[in-house]
Amino acid sequence: MTGHLTLDTVRETMEGLGTAEQVNKFRIRIRTTPERIPRALLIAQSILKCDHLITISAVDNGTTFELLYHLTGPHRSVLSFTIELPRDKPEVHTVSDILPPAGIYERQIHDLLGIGFAGHPDLKRIILNEDWPADEFPMRKDWKPDPKTFYGGIRKEVV
Amino acid sequence: MTADSRTMSTRLADWARLKSPWVTVFNSGACNACDIEVIACLMPIFDVERFGILAKGSPRHADILIVTGPVTLKQSTRLRRIWEQMPEPKYVIAMGACGASGGVFHDLYHVMNGVESTIPVDVWVAGCPPRPDEIINAVVTCLNLMKEDLARGGKEWRQKKTGEAPASGPDSAGVPA
Amino acid sequence: MPEVHIPIGPQHPALKEPVNFKVVVDGEKIVSLDLDISYNHRGIEKAAEKRDFIKVVPLLARVCGICSHSHTTTFVKGIEEAMKIEIPERAQYIRTIIAELERMHSHLLWLGVAAHEIGFNTLFMWTWRDRETIQDMLEEMTGNRVVYGINEVGGVRRDLTPSQIQAAFNHLLKLEDRFSKYGEMVKSDQNLQIRFRGVGKFTREEALKYGTVGPTARASGVDYDIRRDEPYLAYAEVPWKVITDTHGDVWGRTLVRLGEMHESLKIVRYCLENLPAGPISVPVPKTAPPSEILSRYEAPRGELVHFIRTNNTDKVERLDIRTPTMANWTSVAVSLVNQNIADIPVIVAAIDPCLSCTSRITVLNGRGGKAGVMTWDDLRKRGCGKNNKGRSVS
Repeated sequence: MTGHLTLDTVRETMEGLGTAEQVNKFRIRIRTTPERIPRALLIAQSILKCDHLITISAVDNGTTFELLYHLTGPHRSVLSFTIELPRDKPEVHTVSDILPPAGIYERQIHDLLGIGFAGHPDLKRIILNEDWPADEFPMRKDWKPDPKTFYGGIRKEVV
Repeated sequence: MTADSRTMSTRLADWARLKSPWVTVFNSGACNACDIEVIACLMPIFDVERFGILAKGSPRHADILIVTGPVTLKQSTRLRRIWEQMPEPKYVIAMGACGASGGVFHDLYHVMNGVESTIPVDVWVAGCPPRPDEIINAVVTCLNLMKEDLARGGKEWRQKKTGEAPASGPDSAGVPA
Repeated sequence: MPEVHIPIGPQHPALKEPVNFKVVVDGEKIVSLDLDISYNHRGIEKAAEKRDFIKVVPLLARVCGICSHSHTTTFVKGIEEAMKIEIPERAQYIRTIIAELERMHSHLLWLGVAAHEIGFNTLFMWTWRDRETIQDMLEEMTGNRVVYGINEVGGVRRDLTPSQIQAAFNHLLKLEDRFSKYGEMVKSDQNLQIRFRGVGKFTREEALKYGTVGPTARASGVDYDIRRDEPYLAYAEVPWKVITDTHGDVWGRTLVRLGEMHESLKIVRYCLENLPAGPISVPVPKTAPPSEILSRYEAPRGELVHFIRTNNTDKVERLDIRTPTMANWTSVAVSLVNQNIADIPVIVAAIDPCLSCTSRITVLNGRGGKAGVMTWDDLRKRGCGKNNKGRSVS
């Protein structure tokens, strides 16, 4: 079991790809851009030996969307890569070819927040009802259920 | 009590229904606590199998449908289909706070707020989750209701007619007024 | 050659949550798999943004009834980290005791269910009967058998009295004896060995590649356990060890879970013997300063992750939950390919899904258009009957 990754090692490896900062004893956050994220994750996997994708979190910041990719490895440090996407056109390239478990997480984020993942093999509904309208994304901050829209389900006929 | 107008074979079939009701459990999006309590009922210690109750997978073989969960949008179509597949006489037990009104999930965007929104319910059980003792009590209540309904030829006697108070509601253990 | 599409859909006679996956089969071998997990979606993450820290804890306890303590602990631990408060030692120990009791009851539940999937109903009945002992312990300590609301931001809500601790020791003695017995039963039963060995196997590299977590990963030799890697609660002070195995198949997962049950019992006993004195909670501020927390926890099924953002109010800005079963589904999809249909129940049950499934299989004959229907019971009978020649199957 190797020791934790130091901030300097991460900064060196991520030279030109993003800025790193230490959040707490175990976690280092690296800010990067949507274009550089596949390369950054490849480097994290190969050089920094991060072999486990923990999860992909998505946050609606009001003006932008933020995606965080959390990885860890035998060194027990957690690397969080964050990218920001513009609200009117939230799209990023998929990473499911580099990290297969990302396939499921990206499908879920696409369903709930409407972020597009270019190159994803199969971006269909995974978490919402099949009758759910295609352009309503519940986890967006400005979304409220519209009483005139049909979201699914069968109601008992009133006797 | 009205004179029993059933034939001998009907009385035999009704007795068999009461002595051995088969149950199907349907999870309509629950957190699973109610489901494990229902299964704990079938296990040693609580053991409803001594009442002749068996948990069957297929709704076509079941007399009683136990529904757990607040009925998510997706499950409500399936729930309706499952309920329609059950042969008469059929009974529905809605479990827990979720089955009654949606519980902690009341008014969330993917939830139908309770089982009554989709199918008619006969017995409600309180709890989050209800204890196995309370579930056994609910099944026994349901059996008493079944006995009353079979003797009176159906469920109409306890359905509310508009403008009239019910003669005896479903929660009075089926005892006639 | 008829193409068989098996929709394994959302209803099951004896198990927990609904999930649907469509399997395409060629003869007895599975060709591909498709996943649909929307049956259980209730919109909890959105609701958590509208409830303050006291009201959101009962909501999170009901994300999953079997691992309810895991969800609440992960959340309150994250909020305590955001607020930068330290909770008293006694509260840490009590949380650890309840967490390990939850792990024990969850693994016993799994053992019974896995045995049920292969027709070994005796073990099903016996393990669930012993679960009742654990439920009694939990009820004495927390007041409820499942969904024990013992956590709050700042500590725990109830204390353990000396009589409860004494009763717990007696229960633990009984349980220790039963666990050894289950270990022997499982190792000596021929049928179980045939059904579990070699089924659903994946190597260490595949386990890492597909992002598996928990006992499923540890059975393939992946040595990750959050209780040791990022210690929380009292795990840094209690002597215990991580159980790994190299088999990689359902049998390996059984061994890992049995080992973890023994370890959990030792942890509970140690914590009860060395329970520090002191208060059980500290007063907390109403709001949490703005921060971003990734709170990880080793739930019975694997690694549970809550990503929390706070923004100086008494509600969270964003709560993102990643459950361990979500992480393990990709590996199920992969490990089912090229296996037999009859092994579907066992492989799905082996990841201990906090989800469940059943339905009908429709056999489509491409040329004739004839269709037949099988149920989950028929699938199981096919599997049980595979090696049972002569033994009756219930």
